[in-house]
Amino acid sequence: MVSSPSAEIRQRSDALAGLVVIVAIVAAIQVASFFVPAYIMPAPLVILAALWHELTHDTLDVVATLLRLFGAVLASLVVGTALGILMLTATWLRPYLRALLVVDTGIPALSWMIIAVFWFRNPEQRIFFILFLILLPFYAINVYDGLQALPKELVEMVESFRPTRLQAFRYLWLPHLIPYVILTTKSVIGYATRMVIFAELIGAALGIGAKMAVAESAFKMDDILAWTVLLVILNVVLQALIGLVERRLLHWRGEVAVR
Amino acid sequence: MSGAAEIVLERVTCVFNGVTAVEALSLEVARGETVALVGRTGAGKSTAINVILGSLAPTSGRVRVAGYDPYREFRKLRGKLAISFQTDRLLPWRTALENVALGLQIGGVHGAPARERAREWLARVKMSGAEDKYPHELSGGMRQRVSLARTLAVDPGIVLLDESFSQLDQVTSAELRRDFRQLVRELGKTCLFITHRIEDAVEMADRVLVLAPPAHVVLDVRPGDHPDPRVLVDRIATAMLADHLSSRQE
Repeated sequence: MVSSPSAEIRQRSDALAGLVVIVAIVAAIQVASFFVPAYIMPAPLVILAALWHELTHDTLDVVATLLRLFGAVLASLVVGTALGILMLTATWLRPYLRALLVVDTGIPALSWMIIAVFWFRNPEQRIFFILFLILLPFYAINVYDGLQALPKELVEMVESFRPTRLQAFRYLWLPHLIPYVILTTKSVIGYATRMVIFAELIGAALGIGAKMAVAESAFKMDDILAWTVLLVILNVVLQALIGLVERRLLHWRGEVAVR
Repeated sequence: MSGAAEIVLERVTCVFNGVTAVEALSLEVARGETVALVGRTGAGKSTAINVILGSLAPTSGRVRVAGYDPYREFRKLRGKLAISFQTDRLLPWRTALENVALGLQIGGVHGAPARERAREWLARVKMSGAEDKYPHELSGGMRQRVSLARTLAVDPGIVLLDESFSQLDQVTSAELRRDFRQLVRELGKTCLFITHRIEDAVEMADRVLVLAPPAHVVLDVRPGDHPDPRVLVDRIATAMLADHLSSRQE
């Protein structure tokens, strides 16, 4: 699909604004590094060197963090979507499931982290458990809301062809749900990245969070900032990837122009 | 017209929350016949159509569509009965071609054969060239044409129209009505349609049934028996007005 001139102008001005912000931050770090010791604020070039070292020597930690993130997001997406559908179809179960999700969203992430340390020995299980329980309600609630927003007219239209339940799901419910699932993923991915880092910080020997814990105990501010930069880059890349999937799967949506 | 009844309603009554929407409605539509249901708002036309479609169960009475009970034997009517609604109801994530293919896919026709048939139907409703367009890229009239193609592509013996042309401008509506009428005649479909416009009913139907609330037939006429359509339009309008006045007096 060819993007409109207004969309191109907007994209260019967004990119320019992003660049200006990055340059301003780098300049501020450089200025600060002149006045304070390196363990408080190292120079941008030192951070860059640390980042290069991390990318070339700690690749396994980055991969481990990403795999944990993808695994937990995927599992929450699948189970959360199923729960959302169940909430709509099994009316007798709906109030119980909803109450369960409300309780889950009310439990602080930190509580889950501490509970996970007590309940699981294996760090992978701990991290998966924490992320899964934190992300699950987002998918379940958004999918349930999405299903409720399905226009009755479209349901009647599809029903008029007398489909089986599976056909109705395939041709109507599933394509209708895709925007809601993508939107949820877009909203939670940054939060999920922060949570996986916290979880690794508390209970893992491998991963970006674990490496940050080591850097913290060694007063290596350049490493901590380098990991932070990498996390920001990862978040931008992940958002871009989701944007790509969104454009691919939701290309049928017309662009809305606002005056 | 063969004379065998494709749609039969015998003393059908529908009561919702104590309100009677349809009361002892009896009507028959013969195979190949086009019948119009007219009546003022609240006359029970849409309820009657929903009962025939099988999306509503009557409180009492008997309904047979192509020999089946449309509510209890819902799936048995797959491919035999189709409806075109007041609004196009196209799936926004599907192209025009994919929308037309929807009923075919539900009926078990997939891939190239479904696409080919959908393409043929788009051509029949004069929408060639719009196969890959999404609904938001089409005008109201074009969307309604795609919707009609989707209804007819499954090759149903019985076609229901629920005010399918009422939301279009007069020129587009007249053009679509003419094309639809021609297609239905050509293909020998049985057709039952709801309309608010008496002129449309007289122009398109073999029979016009005037309903009065709660959905009982107050007039059953054949436009073919009336050489002057204007006289018939007046007669139908008078029947509707009389019903309206008597209900106000009550």
